[in-house]
Amino acid sequence: MKFLFVSLLALASLHGAAQQFMTRAGHVHFFSETTMENIEAENAQMSGLLDAASGGFAFQVQMRAFHFEKALMEEHFNENYVESETYPKATFQGAIENWDAGWNDGEPHDVVAQGTFDFHGVKQERSIEGTLTWNGDAWLVEARFPVALEDHRIEVPAVVKDNIAPVIDVDVRATLDPR
Amino acid sequence: MTANRTLGRAMRTSAAIAGMAWAMHAPLHSQGLLDALNEAVEEPTLPVTATFKDTRIVNVQSNETPAAGVLHFVIAHRFGTLSSGAYDLWGLDNAQMRMAFDYGITDGLAVGIARNTYQKTYEANVKARLLRQSTGPEAFPVSVTWYSVMMANGLTPPTDLTPYYFTHRLSFVHQAVIARKMNEDLSLALVPSFVHRNFVETTEDAHDLYVLGLGGRYKLTQRFSINGEYHHFLTEAFDQGFSPSLSLGVDIETGGHVFQLHVTNARGMFERSFLAEPAGSWANGDIYFGFNLSRVFTMAS
Repeated sequence: MKFLFVSLLALASLHGAAQQFMTRAGHVHFFSETTMENIEAENAQMSGLLDAASGGFAFQVQMRAFHFEKALMEEHFNENYVESETYPKATFQGAIENWDAGWNDGEPHDVVAQGTFDFHGVKQERSIEGTLTWNGDAWLVEARFPVALEDHRIEVPAVVKDNIAPVIDVDVRATLDPR
Repeated sequence: MTANRTLGRAMRTSAAIAGMAWAMHAPLHSQGLLDALNEAVEEPTLPVTATFKDTRIVNVQSNETPAAGVLHFVIAHRFGTLSSGAYDLWGLDNAQMRMAFDYGITDGLAVGIARNTYQKTYEANVKARLLRQSTGPEAFPVSVTWYSVMMANGLTPPTDLTPYYFTHRLSFVHQAVIARKMNEDLSLALVPSFVHRNFVETTEDAHDLYVLGLGGRYKLTQRFSINGEYHHFLTEAFDQGFSPSLSLGVDIETGGHVFQLHVTNARGMFERSFLAEPAGSWANGDIYFGFNLSRVFTMAS
């Protein structure tokens, strides 16, 4: 009886570790809109982890994996603005508020992720709104949030002030499969 | 007794399994999810970009090529010698010009044409990236880019030289640019070159020359760097006492333009001239002030 109990406990514990959902190929897209020009970039290598037991949530993205329409934009992005050599990644770590494992009903649920957004060496407490949908096999995560360049010490020289929006719109889309 | 011992062993075994399972699970909580994510995701292999701001360091090629579908247009000037004095406004009255169009067929293959006022020289060139410096699990330490150029002297043929065929006008340079971005600020390049001249001035002049170049840039700010290059003659038989080419300058980046301002003892801006026949000597003050101004146009994406 005791043997059975302890074995069950061990199994439950293993099961708990498996209640994590992960992606290595999430999409991040950002958009800067000004009257002069629109600048956008795509990154399909975002990685993310969701702990379904606690609602804990982490994402990271390699800055150098963002691709732009123009090669020169990509070079300027990495070299002059986000300084990818010094700050190779942007990360988010936090938790989904009022996490309910019962959200796996196939319906989209509006959620708020509370946590730390670390970008260009500046950490900021953010609460990010998004939706979470269980498709039967995986969690689909979608979120859209603004990033103010000033908040993250990204300087835009006066000559291109009119070409780059002070606040960039970021949207994230990912499918997190069981680990 | 026996049953008790069996139960005890079973309990110890299951406790050990539970312990292992807990040990596997526990670090996720103590380290945080981000660390767990970092452990699970292997770092990608990513190419090192922007080793140099432009496709040239000063005169010599850098490892950079125009991106696919990008037309890279360069207007460059070299003025007269600084030692020519106030009458020529220290050389500004005697400008040599080079106009060049380079087009990126792919991200690592470009072709170009150019025209120089110096010796009315035409150029056709091809530049191909062979290896790329990268970081990550499959890291590679250097970028290697190949550059080949054919140059045609367009001057009126010398009257005392008959016959004078078109082939007399031609010279060729092949070189490998081995570059490494040491860190965000410092980039270095080693450039071994082979120069072949179909026609040389005297019988003592060599048709084939080997030159070893060293170039680099150091970024002082995001958009400003100091650049330099030196080319050492490896071939002994050097004609007319040319001194090796030494150039120093700065890169200033403003949006879609790169301005390169420099001083050099090379009069011409094509490879045969600055590698094999640099014309001036730093010791005699035969230094030319000049600039390269480049602009990129995205033709296709």
